[in-house]
Amino acid sequence: MAGSAAAVRTSGLSKSFGGTPALLSLDLEVAPGEVLGYLGPNGAGKTTTIRCLLGMIRPTGGRAEIFGVDATAHPAQAHRRLAYVPGEANLWPGLTGGQTLHLLARVQGSADEAYRAELIERFQLDPSKRVRAYSKGNRQKVLLIAALCSRPDLLVLDEPTTGLDPLMEQAFRGCVAEARERGQAVFLSSHILSEVEALSDRVAILRGGELVEVGTLAQLRHLSALSIEAAFDTSPPDLSRIPGVTAVNVQGNRVSCQVVGSVEPLLGVLAASGVHQLLSREPSLEELFLAHYGRDPAAVSGGVDAG
Amino acid sequence: MPAESAAANRAGYGADRRAARTVTVVTARRAVRSGAVWGLLFGLLIFNEAVTYHKNFPTTASRESFLRTIGSNAAIITLIGPPRQVDTIGGFVAWRVYFLVMVVGAIWGMLTATRLLRREEEAGRWELLLAGQTTRRAAAVRAMAGLAVGWIALWAVTAALTVAAGSGSRVGFSVSASLYYATASVVGAALFLAVGALTSQLAVTRRQANGLAAVFFALSYLVCLVAGSRGGLGWMRWLSPLGWIENLNPLTGSRPPALAPVLLLIAVLAAAAAWLAGRRDLDEAVLTRRRAASEDTVLLGGAGRLAIRLERWVSLAWAAALVAAAAVFGATSRAAAAGNVAVGSIEQQLGHFGARPVDPLAAWIGYMYVYLAALLAVAAIGQIAALRAEESEGHLENLLARPLGRPVWLLGRLGFALGFVLATGAAVGAAGWLGLAFPPGGPGFAAMLQAGLNATIPAVFVLGLGTLLFATVPRLAVPVLYCLVLWSFLVEIIGSSITGEHWLLDTALLSHLGPVPATGFDWSAAGWLVGVGALAALAGVAAFRRRDLVGS
Repeated sequence: MAGSAAAVRTSGLSKSFGGTPALLSLDLEVAPGEVLGYLGPNGAGKTTTIRCLLGMIRPTGGRAEIFGVDATAHPAQAHRRLAYVPGEANLWPGLTGGQTLHLLARVQGSADEAYRAELIERFQLDPSKRVRAYSKGNRQKVLLIAALCSRPDLLVLDEPTTGLDPLMEQAFRGCVAEARERGQAVFLSSHILSEVEALSDRVAILRGGELVEVGTLAQLRHLSALSIEAAFDTSPPDLSRIPGVTAVNVQGNRVSCQVVGSVEPLLGVLAASGVHQLLSREPSLEELFLAHYGRDPAAVSGGVDAG
Repeated sequence: MPAESAAANRAGYGADRRAARTVTVVTARRAVRSGAVWGLLFGLLIFNEAVTYHKNFPTTASRESFLRTIGSNAAIITLIGPPRQVDTIGGFVAWRVYFLVMVVGAIWGMLTATRLLRREEEAGRWELLLAGQTTRRAAAVRAMAGLAVGWIALWAVTAALTVAAGSGSRVGFSVSASLYYATASVVGAALFLAVGALTSQLAVTRRQANGLAAVFFALSYLVCLVAGSRGGLGWMRWLSPLGWIENLNPLTGSRPPALAPVLLLIAVLAAAAAWLAGRRDLDEAVLTRRRAASEDTVLLGGAGRLAIRLERWVSLAWAAALVAAAAVFGATSRAAAAGNVAVGSIEQQLGHFGARPVDPLAAWIGYMYVYLAALLAVAAIGQIAALRAEESEGHLENLLARPLGRPVWLLGRLGFALGFVLATGAAVGAAGWLGLAFPPGGPGFAAMLQAGLNATIPAVFVLGLGTLLFATVPRLAVPVLYCLVLWSFLVEIIGSSITGEHWLLDTALLSHLGPVPATGFDWSAAGWLVGVGALAALAGVAAFRRRDLVGS
């Protein structure tokens, strides 16, 4: 049953805190072996989604499944195939890193000890120190190692690189890429857009508790505007009347604009107007993200402070 | 330009002062709350002893009999100091309550200071305050000022109730005598606030800071014990800060100059704490742990074993303290029982459970074990507080994100807590029997074991109710439990003054506890309390499955 089920499936998943909606009817699916980047500003509902998936909080509506198991009704069963890394590493200060890894492996029920030793090397963690003495980044490493070494079918990562330096962030990206190659699914909530862009097969964008976009980067780019810059021998033609063209900006003999949908009408006009230089560029994930939130600055600051 | 510069300087100075004041206010707000509650408790204790004196000792003969018994009893003198003018109401109140308030106040001071200084630093909140326009030393001084405000609240409430008690026509303490008594009673709290402030600079964790302060307390107390054990060693009280406080002699020949060394020591300790706070780094301590961290994985094999590992030292400390108290009660009970101390309270209690001819020794032990039951209930609250801390500090999330069911985790923790309570109860019974064993006679081992287990009943109820509260109103669970036990304790100590108000007694947990071994084990009351506690625990486990995890 569970073998063919989606790693994560939510249907109509909703959560309110004291009447304030934090998550609104979320329908989402992560396939086995897939990396899903989960984006949204503070308060968009990312952490709320994850806490519902883990059974830490009860949804007020809808359903969340992990490999076909109802995560709310049977959280312990659902957790057998996942490992979770929270954004804030709250560990027992009196234990050492090594003791914490031992404890978490025992509670998890399984750990690849050789891989754990390798991860300790790769993340340059000193496991003999007490958690109290660790920096924030080192505490995060403990949780990353604990999650990765259990080799779960699903990794649920909530801002997992908080506090890591750029070198360690590279090490993390390598580990996630390896996990994907092994067929593990990854649910990656992150603010670091370059990280999501580099690792994700698909991206889901959340806004005010609602899913506003989900798809591969190519699909999102296709749906989004293409940036065009053109230079002319003479004054540029009026491009603002061409269907799908927006944000026209003229500076002397140069013009820039955005095109949504087919570029054919624009190319026809440009060719007839003596264009001698043409540049086109797909939007980055950052531009896609900002395009979704730029329309309503209030959405970026977040209406609901529930993560 | 110079005017602008002066204005900027004034603005900066104002901001500095506001930042500094914030540290004082934040600390004082929390210290005042607990200071006022404990002041209320101390005040009511003093009030009760003063107003019930004539009821407990109605005749000159009864007072003389009491004085003869106490005057010849080395154990009692060693334990709570020599009685002075104990045949007068002032002497009796001073002797009965003064040492108790001094000791409990000292423990309050120690725990409050380490909680509001070292614990705040451990939790990272101190760093936020230091990021303002202040320095480490200035912030420490301001925080100690906040602690002083908390102590003033403790003193004010204690003093108000002492003055109220003293103004009664049959009591007759002057206002100045009442104020001096209240001051002397709680000056130990001020001293140990300063001790806690200093150990918070010395130790890197609150637990260690409490340990250091407890060692200081234990040494001071030990010197007092030795000084009280034989007449010729009384001079040794001057070697102990607690002895200095004993020598203040409120209501029995007051010696205000004896306050001088206490106040001087408080000033020295506070100055040392401020100096060290300025010299050390944030999150560090003077006595930073040097030894390498242990790599043992004992008791790290699962969530249940982790509970034992996390709580073992605190639980053992509680158990040791209660066992020691039971042994001392046992050793001193013959003399105390012979002196008919608080006979009214005992009779009142026994009446509640059906009057019958009673052995005074068994009655006294039963009476004292009710107090041990109250302390064991407080230790049980500590277990519920530990549950809540695991959740509020985010540790629980690390466990529950793994294949561990919430009921399994909660039942594991409850199992440990219940085991701790029952084992401590049995040990308390055995320790009391050992204390009584020489010379032989009095209640046997089985009766004392029953008394110890009887003392666990309120704690078992607290664990059950605490589980339900933790599962339904997690942030309120611990305060509500403290209120319940405090209320029960207050009703217990003023119970002898309550006549015909059984409904009031019934609201108190401890009132349902039979004073075993004076009476037989009350299976009916025990069954009700344990049964209700068990049902509450089961409801709590079910409710915990369904609620959201809640942070601090």
